[in-house]
This record gives sequence, structure tokens and C-alpha cells, in this order.
Amino acid sequence: MKWAAFLSTAFIAILIILYEWPKLKQKSAKDKLALVSLLLIGLLLSMFHLQEMAGPTSWIEAFFRPLGEFMER
Amino acid sequence: MEKGKISSLQMAFMLYPTIVATAILGIPSVTAKFAKTDFWMSPIFASFIGYLTVYLAVKLHKLYPGQTIIQYSEQIIGRWLGKIIGFLFLSFYIQVTGLIVREYAEFVVDSFLIDTPIIVVMASMVLLCAFVVHGGLEGLGRGALLFIPVFLIPQIILFILVFPDLEFKNIFPVLANGVMPPLKGSIVPGGWYTEFFLISFLLPFLVDKKKGMRYGMMTVFAVMATLVIVNLVVLFVLGPTTSSKVYPLMNVARYISFADFFEHMESFIMAIWVVGAFVKISVFFYATALGTAQWLKLTDYRPIVWPLGIFIVITGFWSISNSMDLERYNVNAFPFYGAVIQTLLPLLLLLIAMISNKNKKNKQSNTTDAPMK
Repeated sequence: MKWAAFLSTAFIAILIILYEWPKLKQKSAKDKLALVSLLLIGLLLSMFHLQEMAGPTSWIEAFFRPLGEFMER
Repeated sequence: MEKGKISSLQMAFMLYPTIVATAILGIPSVTAKFAKTDFWMSPIFASFIGYLTVYLAVKLHKLYPGQTIIQYSEQIIGRWLGKIIGFLFLSFYIQVTGLIVREYAEFVVDSFLIDTPIIVVMASMVLLCAFVVHGGLEGLGRGALLFIPVFLIPQIILFILVFPDLEFKNIFPVLANGVMPPLKGSIVPGGWYTEFFLISFLLPFLVDKKKGMRYGMMTVFAVMATLVIVNLVVLFVLGPTTSSKVYPLMNVARYISFADFFEHMESFIMAIWVVGAFVKISVFFYATALGTAQWLKLTDYRPIVWPLGIFIVITGFWSISNSMDLERYNVNAFPFYGAVIQTLLPLLLLLIAMISNKNKKNKQSNTTDAPMK
């Protein structure tokens, strides 16, 4: 767990909520739900040591491995 | 959802820096690794996938006018499969945007802001682009139009100043090992050309929709011409050593010493890079934000611009610990991933759409009361 990254992301998320909430008030519940859930996913991801973790980028690289080997030859 | 309108010229000026900005810096050396001294031909071969991609995007938009890929993929192959296709596109665009931000920041930190933490460079660029995307498509289009001189003039000045140093004999031998090495070298720039599919997100908002195809094709040609000129200049100055440089155009710019006065021209490259990366990230970011909002069927894309910004910074870091990882990904995986998502998938969608439209028409002409499905 990286506290600095997590806390700064949480701080940014609060700023975003404060900035967008007044405008979102008259909009549908779906819009609010989308904003909050996207922020929560972002917050969740910021807790990990992402640079050393397997993720979309390394999965795609593994998926295209045969073609990647052709490029390295 | 998007009330702004852009002209097709603005679309062209949004797309041109989008492809050229990152392609002129790192790509010449990558291409030179495969094609040796023939790497100036590779952008020409690679451009065919660009023409194809623009053609597919425009054709699909003609069948489903006023919609983006996220919307019409649901109409073509049904709701759930369409959602899956939409998810593939969105995950692709979020991840690619993150990697572009990382690439931009790696270059800035590597060459200029050596002591600055990379997260600061990345986050400030994403914040800036988030404001532009939040402002809407019209602002982005006008900004791109405004910035095009800042993007083009330094390039022209650079080419004029480097002219006395060009060694034209570096071009030989031409095609010493046949046509295969430049063809293999064209795979990586081909990945960049597939990014032209972004016009799928811009076409619905054109004022002059009929010119979309022409301007799209012209942009592909302009990108090809720029890349060929850049590659030739790099080849004429650096010769066979191009493949050993990380950013060959930077080396060319540092090489300039004109009348003992015009030196340290790398600041020009910096100007091109920052402006180009800004337009590029904004266009990708816009496509991501609009696409996500359409995918989730929201009323507006503006609120979700900010959380997507966080996503973009996160994917810029995810499983990439240094610039070597990034370059390996850009060579080994991105060209294929980009071609699969941005050219093959649209091609499939277009074929399915054309076949099902034909069936519908046949049914309508043959039977009057047959159910429509």
C-alpha cells in the first residue's frame, strides 16, 4: 500500500466531487452513480504498487507474444 | 450530448498532430532497426492501413450518421455484443492515452526536466487536457487550429537550418536486402496510422459531413509526407547510426550550428513535442470521455472527464516500470493491438452491417408482412 499516492488521489477525488456536485444535482441518478463509481475504482487502483503489477499493458503484451517474437527476430 | 460543431479542416488539424507528434521522435530509430538505410520508405507502406482505417470509419458513419462507434456497434450486432465491442474500444483508448502521457513525460523528464518527479509532469498534462475536454469539442478544434503554426513552423525552420549538413549519399544503398526490411519496419508506424480511427468520434460533429472523407484522406497523406521528410532528414544527418539513438530528431536538432548563432535547436523539438502531445492527448481523452458516456448512456460526458483523468494517469504507470518497458510494448504489442482494435474490428462491423442491410432490403422487397429480424 502506497499511502502518499492513495491520499493524494483521495484528495483529488474530494476536489472533483466538490467541483461537480452542484452541477450534477439536477441530473439523473445514473450520472451521479457513474461519477462516484469511477472515482472509487480509481481510488482502489491507486492503493497498489501498480508499476510492478501485471495489468492491461502486460496482458496485451502476453497476448501478442508470438507476433512480438517476430518483431524481435 | 455534444452540442459543439467543428469544421472538417479543424478535424484535419486535430488529427495531424495526433499522429505526427509522437511518431517523429521515437519512430525513426525503431524503424531504422528493421529497415537499415531504407527506413524512409516505411511510412509510405504503413500509410495504406491509414487510408483503409479512414475509409472504414467514414463508410460506417455513412451507414449510421450522427453516431460514434460505441453507439452503432450496438445497432449492428445487438446490445450485449455491442457493449463488449464498446468496452474493448474504451479500454483500448484509456490505456493508449495513459501510455501516450507516460511517453510524453518520459521524454520531458529524460531531456529537460531531469530532477522533476515524472508524476508531476504527467498529472499536470492530464489536468490541462481535462480542462480542454471539459470545455467541449469546439474549444478543442479551435485550439488545434490555433496551435498548428506552433507545430509546423519550428519543423520548417529546423529543416531549413539543417540543410547545409545533409549528406545525400547516406541514402545508398537503396533496397540492398530487398523490399522485406522496409516492409517489416512499416509495422510499427502502421500502429500509429491506425489511430486515424479517432475520426469516428469526430465525424458525427462535422458541419460539412461530405468533406469528411476527403479531409481524412488528405490528413493521412500529410502525415505520410511529414514522416517521410523527417525520416529522410534524420537519415541524411545521422546515416546508419540512426538506430542507436533514442530520439534521433533531437540529435539532429543538437547537431545544428548555423552561422555560429543558431544553436541548441532542441528547444524547437521541445515546442513541437509539447504542443503535439497536448493536442494528441486531448483528442484521445475526448474520444475516451465521449465514448464512456455513450457506453454508460449518461446525459453528459463532462462530469466523468475528471475520474477518467485519474484512470489515464494510473494506466500510464500500470505494469510499466521504466521507459524500456514502454518501448518494448510500443514495438512488440501496440502495432498489432492497434490494428486489431481500430482496423480489423471496424472492418468486421462494416461487413456485418452491409450484409444485414442487404438482407433487410431483400426481405422488404420479397415479402411485405415478414417480421423484421
